[in-house]
Amino acid sequence: MKGLIENRFGLLALVLVALGALYGVAFVSRPAPVPQKTAQKVKTAVESVSMVCPDPAGGRLNVITPPAEQGTGDGGSGAATVEQMKGGKPLASLDKVGALWRQDVPLRTRPVTVAGMGAMAAGLEAAQTTRVTSGAQRGLSGVRCVEPGAEAWFIGPGPAAADVTLHLANSDEAAADVAVMVYAGEGPVLSDRGNGLVIKPGEYREVKLRDLAPSPLVMAVQVTTSGGRVAAAVRASLGEGRGVDWLPAAAPPSTQVVVPGIPGSAGQRELYVATPGEQDAIVQVKAVLKDGSYALKNKETVEVPAGSTTTLDLTTGVGGQAGALVLTADQPIVAGMRMTGTGSRQDVAFTAGATPIDLGSVVADGGPGAKSAKSGGVQQSRLVLSAPFGAATVRIRILPQDGAPAEPVEVALPAARSKEIKLKPPPGSRSGFAVHIVPVAGSGPVYGGRVLSEDTPEGVLLTVQPLAQARTWALVPATAEWPGAVLP
Amino acid sequence: MHSVTAIVVAHDGARWLKETLDAVLRQSRPLDRVAGVDNGSRDGSGRLLSEAFGPGSVLSLSRSTGFGEAVHEVVRRLPRAQGQEWLWLLHDDCAPDAHALHALLRAADENPKAAILGPKLRDWLDRRVLLEIGVTVGRSGRRDTGLEPREYDQGQHDGTHGVLDVLSVSTAGMLIRRDVWEELAGLDPVLPLFRDDLDLCWRARVAGHRVLNVTAAVAWHAEAASRRRRRIAVSEDHPRRLDRRNGLFVIMANLPFLALVRSIFRNIAGSLARTVLFLLAKQPANALDEVAALGSVLGNPVRLIKARRARKKGRKQGYPAVARLLTPPGATWRRLADMVQRYLAGEGPVDSAGRHHAAGAAEEEGDELLTDSGLSQRIFSSPGVLLFLLLAGITVAAEWPLLTGGGLLGGGALVPVTGGASDLWRLYTESHHVAGLGSDTWAPPYVAVIAALSTLFFGNTALAVSVLLLGCVPLAGLSAYAATRRMISYTPARVWLAATYALLPLATGVIAAGRVGTALILILIPVYAALATRVVAGSRRAAWGFGLLLAVGTAFDPLVYVVVAILGGLAAVSFGGIRRGVGLSLAIGLGTPIVLLFPWIAGIVLEPRRLLLESGLADPALADPRVSADALLMLNPGGPGTPPVWVTGGLVAVALGALLLRRHQTVVAIGWGVTLFGVLLAVVVGRLGEWPGVPLAFAATGLLVATALTAHRIAEFRAAGGVRRLGALLIVAVAFATPLAAAGLWIKGGAGGPLRGDLRDPLPPLAAAFSPRGERTLLMRPEGGRLTYTILPGRAPLIGESDLRSPEADTARVGAAVAGLASGRGGDDVRTLAAYGIQFVTVPGPVEASLQRVLDSEPALTRMNLSEVGGLWRVVGTVTVPRPPAGSDGWHRTWLWAQAALVALVLVLASPGARTAEQYDDYGDAPEPARPSRRRPRNPEERVPA
Repeated sequence: MKGLIENRFGLLALVLVALGALYGVAFVSRPAPVPQKTAQKVKTAVESVSMVCPDPAGGRLNVITPPAEQGTGDGGSGAATVEQMKGGKPLASLDKVGALWRQDVPLRTRPVTVAGMGAMAAGLEAAQTTRVTSGAQRGLSGVRCVEPGAEAWFIGPGPAAADVTLHLANSDEAAADVAVMVYAGEGPVLSDRGNGLVIKPGEYREVKLRDLAPSPLVMAVQVTTSGGRVAAAVRASLGEGRGVDWLPAAAPPSTQVVVPGIPGSAGQRELYVATPGEQDAIVQVKAVLKDGSYALKNKETVEVPAGSTTTLDLTTGVGGQAGALVLTADQPIVAGMRMTGTGSRQDVAFTAGATPIDLGSVVADGGPGAKSAKSGGVQQSRLVLSAPFGAATVRIRILPQDGAPAEPVEVALPAARSKEIKLKPPPGSRSGFAVHIVPVAGSGPVYGGRVLSEDTPEGVLLTVQPLAQARTWALVPATAEWPGAVLP
Repeated sequence: MHSVTAIVVAHDGARWLKETLDAVLRQSRPLDRVAGVDNGSRDGSGRLLSEAFGPGSVLSLSRSTGFGEAVHEVVRRLPRAQGQEWLWLLHDDCAPDAHALHALLRAADENPKAAILGPKLRDWLDRRVLLEIGVTVGRSGRRDTGLEPREYDQGQHDGTHGVLDVLSVSTAGMLIRRDVWEELAGLDPVLPLFRDDLDLCWRARVAGHRVLNVTAAVAWHAEAASRRRRRIAVSEDHPRRLDRRNGLFVIMANLPFLALVRSIFRNIAGSLARTVLFLLAKQPANALDEVAALGSVLGNPVRLIKARRARKKGRKQGYPAVARLLTPPGATWRRLADMVQRYLAGEGPVDSAGRHHAAGAAEEEGDELLTDSGLSQRIFSSPGVLLFLLLAGITVAAEWPLLTGGGLLGGGALVPVTGGASDLWRLYTESHHVAGLGSDTWAPPYVAVIAALSTLFFGNTALAVSVLLLGCVPLAGLSAYAATRRMISYTPARVWLAATYALLPLATGVIAAGRVGTALILILIPVYAALATRVVAGSRRAAWGFGLLLAVGTAFDPLVYVVVAILGGLAAVSFGGIRRGVGLSLAIGLGTPIVLLFPWIAGIVLEPRRLLLESGLADPALADPRVSADALLMLNPGGPGTPPVWVTGGLVAVALGALLLRRHQTVVAIGWGVTLFGVLLAVVVGRLGEWPGVPLAFAATGLLVATALTAHRIAEFRAAGGVRRLGALLIVAVAFATPLAAAGLWIKGGAGGPLRGDLRDPLPPLAAAFSPRGERTLLMRPEGGRLTYTILPGRAPLIGESDLRSPEADTARVGAAVAGLASGRGGDDVRTLAAYGIQFVTVPGPVEASLQRVLDSEPALTRMNLSEVGGLWRVVGTVTVPRPPAGSDGWHRTWLWAQAALVALVLVLASPGARTAEQYDDYGDAPEPARPSRRRPRNPEERVPA
């Protein structure tokens, strides 16, 4: 020991030993890398839903809250109200989950708000369908009742080709300051008239798009609010013998858009594509049909000038085949499609870009049923489902107006294929029904549309409603209070 | 025809008396009569008088007789003489020049109205130093000679005709007409000592006589009584108190009524102020005397009234003649400025009023950088300053984007710096905070430190934090350079140490991660080391300073205290037995932080995990729990802003090499011991998931000091030549490689990291404008799959608010509501939030589309704004801001006052202050020992820590 201390190298050796020991401790105690865990969102039942049916007058109104799925339990009680705007008469108060409420609404009915709380809110869905068999408004038209929002997109024929009406309603407590932007075939229409439409709480208004932009043959419409929310819907009437329908709300601009719900019946098919950005978009078009997914011959790409809307006739490509279109572009685009029925007097239907129905979808008007003769003849209801990006399995459940809900049916969708499914009320029921579609866990994205058609002597009446995500579930993100949130 | 009687009053003054008597008897104008009075001397003064004047001319009185009484005794027995009769009063310690009387009488002839004349008084020992050329007094009773301390007499004050019109002259050498003496009833016996002369002359002036100082006449005066060279028998009080009391008394007795009233108020205020100053200067005895003097004058009104009655005649009419000669009012301020100047020069805040000699300025610490000769030249040739400038240049080069960001500074552990010093003080002192959901937690003490720093920077918190954080490299370098002045004599080694210390990996890491607290600690650690060497040497003052600074460091990072306490404990074990007082000094140093931070420290003890948490945001992303073992051994804490591991290789290599030097093994071993301990602690802290910066800073300090202390051997090696010279060069190259590489990499990589200089106020201006009553804003930020949120109280958060805790129940409810709101499930989440006063919801841009849709579709929210910067939504309907609970936390208030008082006390105890105020020394006896330095003799061992 003494020698060690007196040795010139003794201290160095001691320090080196100590350093080695420290190194060992630090090395051994070094924890294994922890894989970054992404916080999972938690599904929670929606607690409050409200929507506006823009113009149900003379048609049938369907309201339903689907029954809770097995194993998730139900969330106690709740209530839904159906009432006219501006102090009109309440039409109904509902409190039964799983029961379809359907009523023919008399003419001169104002827009109707449907609001659900508690258990009745989870998946509450409403739709209006109108059937007119003669006159300028002849046709089958339907729309999913609109949830108010700050932005909405529509794409379809312009005021030069049709009588296009924008229905705006504000069911909230704050005034809505609405701006309407039109992207025509020649580019964006700059007009002051589309700005500063103030809709007071509880008010509704119909705006003729001809007043904003009289000339476009085709157009995309962007409705935005700079304050408050608005429920917007667009109705296009192409004129005597050419049909009438609502334009479904299109998915907001994105570089990949799926246009689902193309019916398998014969007739014209016209694709609308708009790019609201400031650069031209080159759009690749691919059809997802029953037998596979492929680009259409000579119609592989569409070029859309910046800020404008373009059409592409796909009658020879997808006519007579049920399916969906997948559009991929280098710029964000909005897309939709016009479908025409056959016959001497035609009817028209529209579909538009949609989001996948990961958490399920509810169609309030699944079909009229056999006995609803008054408001419908013999209407046929079909579901067109597509799984463009991966195989999927969906569970379909018919919820009839009378009687118990049917047992769910599972349908397998191969990847990049579409399927057309005929919807019928369950045996023993002759009433109208709603449909609840839920992809099974592990499925790829599913898109779809519900097609209602009726054969009349003068021609086929047609309406399409693309499937939208049901308002059943909300995804609660993991939250954490963190004062550092003020830092980027 | 004059007849002059000299009256010499002696009291234990044999030391000076012989010379005095010789001088009296050898006057060129012989005295007509002489008389001596012996006030009961015990040292043979009476005998000396009898020998000189003859026994018949000497009167023996009791010990308690005052000067005035003694003169009265003589005058009463003195028979009348022919002609103009004069009395020449002399102290036993006052030797007049041979021609003094001659000059005095000539002046009396030339100025027939002059009734009192006095010589120019010079110092007894240093015969050229002027003491008095007449004395005046301020309205505060402060004696004023109108001379600079230690002024040499070069005739600069001599009057044109050899005389000066003055308010009063000293009784030492005072020549007074006998008829005037009798008319004025002579010296007032109430004032046995001090200011009796002033009183007499004042009365003479009031009576219309002139008082002259004859500068042609010189006397040397030892001022034995006021300098306490002899015991005072007439009073038991301290001469200082006596002096002050008599000063006040004379002023109050002689002033006319209105001036008196003013004077009373002025003196009460002045005395209190002086008392406080004395206390600050750690002179409690002076403070007590000041108060006691005022008390004894005001507390004895009968005596005062009697004295005033006696002086009633002509007081008011004669006052203008006196007022002219009083100290002008502006002199107070001049004196105050003087005092501050002298305090800054290190002499202590209180002037030496009663003492007539001020000492020359002692050598001050830190004056190496600030010398007064050729200031700029000296500054720019000082290696410390050059090093500072170089490091500042490196810092600016590396931090350029941060400095020119143009926005708020923030990021990492630092919230964007907003607000001013007043906001921080309010945060620190208020008992209920509005931040978050409202909190009753006491603000952490480091808020007070930052608030104090901001106050120093004119209330600009951003500036204070920027200087502290961004300037931490040059400041740490400067602090390391200055702190090692006494430890390391070899300047190149100090430069190397300072540069290496300032550019340690953890310094750049501190800046990149925005750790203000650690930046301050980094600057303080060298100061700790320097003070610790003095604490270990037993210095009490250093111990208080150490305790205060340790409290500051601990407030930012409690781990500092743990490290210092352990090292201090080891030091106590090693040095406790060697030097006296070390234990107490250490106890002061380690106890002060605990007392100053008491409630906060108690909270940490209850929750030991907080021991590892630094001030600021505890973001786990800023520390790397997997920091590699070799990085820790190389003093690299990991995390953002740290250079590659090899950068410190040179330092460690040189430090290992230092172990081979046998001559300094103890020092090096201690240094390495500190390092190993620091690294061990760093391993523990790092593996617990926190940033091991502070332990590594201590480790690096130990390594650097150990190495630098041995560095002078390099010079020896170089001088040795040959292979050794080559080796020395190699060692120098390796040693300097570390700071050079660190600087190069830092400039190349930039100082930024999480810290940015271009942040926006997290609260959108629109929300700020519409939050007049402190409506809250919910800020949500999606981050890595989860949503983080915070609640802003109508303004951006302040530093320190992240440490406040809101009630758990509220936090949980709001958390659930925020999650619900972000999910878009509808429901009454917004109403829950509104109940907590949340008026706005903001999401910093770019806003995620899904979150935007969710917020847009929430009926209870309406969008106000959406851009790339962010989105802002407003809650529809009325929002009530919860009112803070009424009343304040009394205990908190009490503690804050106590804390402020404690800090003030520690500051006073730690500050240099006026050292021993009394001067007992340097007069009289020849065999006086060499004048001891008034500084505490510096312990030789103190220069080396080990």
